[in-house]
Amino acid sequence: MLSVRKLPLRNLRGYASRSAAIILFAALTSAAVFGGLLLTGAVRGGLETVRARLGADIMVTPESAKNEFDAQTALIKAEPGYFYMDSDVLEQIRSIEGVAAASPQLFLASAKAGCCSARLQLIAFDPATDFTVQPWIADTGTTREMGLMDVIIGSSVSWPSADNAVIRFYDSECSVIGQFAPTGSALDSAVYMNFDTCRALIDACRSMGLFKYADFDGDRSVSSVLVRVKEGYDAESVASEIRARIGGVSAVTAAGMLSGIADGLRHVSSAVKALMLAFWLPGLFMAVLFFAFMINERKKEFAALRAMGADRRILSRIAVTEALAANLAGGLIGIIVSGVLLCAFGGLIAGRMNVTFVLPPLGKMLLTALAALLPAVLAAACSSLAALGIISRTDAALLLKEGE
Amino acid sequence: MKLTASGIKKDFPRAGKTSNFFTAVQPLDIELSSGRLTVVSGRSGSGKSTLLNMLAGLLTPSAGSVCLDGTDIYALSDGALSRLRNASLGLIPQGNTALNSLSVLENTLLPSVLYSKCAPPYETAASLLGQLGLGSVKDEKPSALSGGELRRMSVARALLTRPGVILADEPTAGLDDENTLLVLSLLRRYADDGACVLIVTHEDEAGRFADEQLTMNGGMLSR
Ligand SMILES: Nc1ncnc2c1ncn2[C@@H]1O[C@H](COP(=O)(O)OP(=O)(O)OP(=O)(O)O)[C@@H](O)[C@H]1O
Ligand SMILES: [Mg+2]
Repeated sequence: MLSVRKLPLRNLRGYASRSAAIILFAALTSAAVFGGLLLTGAVRGGLETVRARLGADIMVTPESAKNEFDAQTALIKAEPGYFYMDSDVLEQIRSIEGVAAASPQLFLASAKAGCCSARLQLIAFDPATDFTVQPWIADTGTTREMGLMDVIIGSSVSWPSADNAVIRFYDSECSVIGQFAPTGSALDSAVYMNFDTCRALIDACRSMGLFKYADFDGDRSVSSVLVRVKEGYDAESVASEIRARIGGVSAVTAAGMLSGIADGLRHVSSAVKALMLAFWLPGLFMAVLFFAFMINERKKEFAALRAMGADRRILSRIAVTEALAANLAGGLIGIIVSGVLLCAFGGLIAGRMNVTFVLPPLGKMLLTALAALLPAVLAAACSSLAALGIISRTDAALLLKEGE
Repeated sequence: MKLTASGIKKDFPRAGKTSNFFTAVQPLDIELSSGRLTVVSGRSGSGKSTLLNMLAGLLTPSAGSVCLDGTDIYALSDGALSRLRNASLGLIPQGNTALNSLSVLENTLLPSVLYSKCAPPYETAASLLGQLGLGSVKDEKPSALSGGELRRMSVARALLTRPGVILADEPTAGLDDENTLLVLSLLRRYADDGACVLIVTHEDEAGRFADEQLTMNGGMLSR
């Protein structure tokens, strides 16, 4: 049934190519804004998640592992490695002033071969002293105590047989008892276990001739020590104290490990800002311009409506509704398309840019989407103003003549 | 119903040697009353459309007043004048004024939906279009119609709500003899049913249908 309320949509459909242009520009604008906000939010979210999950102030590793372990990229590049130092280091660290807690970890890398499910970082923690892994185990929903050959896997680790939750390393079967939430970092492809499990796997690896250290003593070795600093102490100065007092180790602070990601975040935000500006202003301009074109082209139609008794309110309502409908439709399309693309490929893009990526929760995403609609609303407002200007300047009587 | 204009005059600004405005319509009186069909003819540029638009409430006269049943229409607010125009005035403008996004039938229905939320009178519109020989194109878009068909569509649109006053600016322009007669006799019928009808035309035929014939010359109206 024909009604004045349906006129705006009928008009948009009737002038399809003009409307499509407006929708396209509105979509580009809000896609840039939403994509940009979502990307920065996700990178920042990744940084926060990793910072929380890292849980330690300082990480101590053998100095000899320099080639294998680059603290700045360790959290981003999922390149598993293993290296060892004497476990005496632990006591030495504990004796240093400002150290509140220290807990050892033992590493192994699984091989990408028949014996193993995939090439992954294996990390053993010490349940008695650990303060970085166990706080997160409760979140995985597992109630089972971690026993020998039990593992908890990072979010991106998959195991071949879903039904019996078993994962194989060096021909040894491990039971998966839990899985961590995503951090968007290398932590997602790590597998956590206790020291005994790790030593058993090292033995298996060695017996297959794949272990690279000949003089390895499982009982006297640790790969890293995670340190929590006492309140009131500066992590950086405690770290340099560790470096100074203990030979053969390197100590890096959490801030140092995260600095790579933080730099990446800064790059991403400035690129995103530039991109948003580059799309927003021209997009706004073009959307308004095309709308003004369309209204100008239809001056005579508005005059006709006026001649049959439409007052200014009806004409303005038609123009404003058309502007809103076209721009909001474009805005929504842009948001949906960029949202889907980012959800699908965001992790990949972030990986290329050496930053972590964790999508914000749905509620926050919706808020961001709402914010990304603001440019569309602004475009609608400007378009309406332009249209009202054109309509109020057209004298109905002039337009009702032949030839104009 | 009665439409009375007294002393209306229209000046247009114009860059000239002697004066900087141009009088398109000299002060004149005209009265349209129920059941009468008035024909105004005259040369191109003589001020016919200007007069008609002033009577239609679309062009404010430089002087004088236009009253519909005693109400000075130019004293009304935009909203009130618009509603009055919608309720009582059927205007057939000189130009093509179709809405391109709507079908011919929907264009014809437009005056009935501006302020009413009731279902538009599809039957009435279809029958009017049928009487004007447009039954077969009623679902087409205006862009598919010929000039003469568009003309007849705006006749149907102006008559749809059976307005008390019908103002037709060259309703038969571009029509063949047969269709000219069709339109003129339809307008005559509406006058006989009680409408005040004013037709601006070059068509000699129109005289046969008129109760009164006026001529416009250089902005002046004469009998
Ligand atoms: N808006 C305007 N500004 C200036 N001059 C105008 C305007 N509208 C009309 N005129 C002038 O007023 C005169 C009368 O114009 P009008 O349109 O009333 O003529 P008309 O009798 O309807 O002619 P036609 O038969 O060609 O339609 C013309 O000389 C025209 O140039
Ligand atoms: Mg004219």
